[in-house]
Amino acid sequence: MNTQDLIEKLGLKPLSKFEPREINGVFISDMISDVMAGAKSGNLWLTVQTHKSIVPAANLVDAAAVVITSGKEVPIETVELASKYNIAILSTSLPTYELVGMLYALKPISR
Amino acid sequence: MPSSRYPVKESISGNWLGNKRRRWGNDQTGRVCFLLWSPGSHVEIRIIKDALAASIIEAEDNLNSTVEHIYASDLMSDVLAFGKPNSVLLTGLATQQAVISAHMAEFKGVVFIRGKRPKDGSIKIARDNHLILLTTELDMFDACVRIDAADRGTLPDSKSGMATQRSPEMLLNHEMYINGKDFVNAGMVSTEVKSILKKIGFDHKLIRRVAISTYEGEMNVVMHAIRAKVILSITPKVVEVIIIDEGKGIPNVDLAMQAGYSTATEEMRALGFGSGMGLPNIKKNSDEMKIESEVGIGTRLEMRFLI
Repeated sequence: MNTQDLIEKLGLKPLSKFEPREINGVFISDMISDVMAGAKSGNLWLTVQTHKSIVPAANLVDAAAVVITSGKEVPIETVELASKYNIAILSTSLPTYELVGMLYALKPISR
Repeated sequence: MPSSRYPVKESISGNWLGNKRRRWGNDQTGRVCFLLWSPGSHVEIRIIKDALAASIIEAEDNLNSTVEHIYASDLMSDVLAFGKPNSVLLTGLATQQAVISAHMAEFKGVVFIRGKRPKDGSIKIARDNHLILLTTELDMFDACVRIDAADRGTLPDSKSGMATQRSPEMLLNHEMYINGKDFVNAGMVSTEVKSILKKIGFDHKLIRRVAISTYEGEMNVVMHAIRAKVILSITPKVVEVIIIDEGKGIPNVDLAMQAGYSTATEEMRALGFGSGMGLPNIKKNSDEMKIESEVGIGTRLEMRFLI
């Protein structure tokens, strides 16, 4: 499943400019070091962190996209930086738990 | 002695001079080129030597010592009149007079330009007075420009292979800077490192390991230090990232290496940092990791990744 499919199926709101990518799994954490240690290349990263340094973090672990949950407002600097690096920042008003439930129902995404 | 091997403060502060604190110009005589670092800043003599591709005529093991000013002149009366203590003299005058004047003006060393070398008597005077003597093929103008460029971190890669090539095997040697507390730009240095490695075309997994480790190192500087210099060097066998910071240092490195140990503030944790996994992540991702730290001075983190 790629980023575009996911956006359509889950009704996510794309905030940054990006190129659609294949998603091979999901990683959830709000601690950046956990993401650095555990997220794999091509993973979807779910977080409530919105500050600018999530962009380099997502870029460095080569995340397929970042989903900001709970309807958290994303600062424009974060979106601009993400667009520069082609990192998809997607937003949803759903809390992480509920989004995960929907993701889980969507095979073939698996961790 | 760790402190002599590890002159953190001395080795990095030369790069924090900033443009405002530097001035170029003529001295009062209008005859000489005069390049001055501001008081209180230091640059390692080794950096000057590298920038000029200079060879050593006389130096005890003291190339790590630092100077605050460069004085460029061929007129020794000017040196005595205007030279400040703790300087290096650039001169084309290869006589005993140059060495004696430099000693009188409390300089730390003399660089002879245009490939000049003083006679043995001068070298003995230098040795007896702990003065460093270097010689470079460059002329006065180029020597001044290159020292200035080295200090700004903008030394161009030259085909003759000067300062940027520390060894014949060095493929790349790139310096970057991180400011402490700068959460806005946090992660940009590691992003740059990643782009460089990607451009060279390294294996994806290697790039990832270097990028993650550099990011953790960078975040440590942003969270805990005042500023740091990051040196990325690449040889055919190894990628090396060295982060030298000026900051409070780590009182207990073993403790800091423990997973989950963190001294981050609540504010940092709210941003998702400070889970105490930084150094363990680096250890996991690098092939060799070395930390040296001095409380109140700073920390030097060396990471190596085999290609």
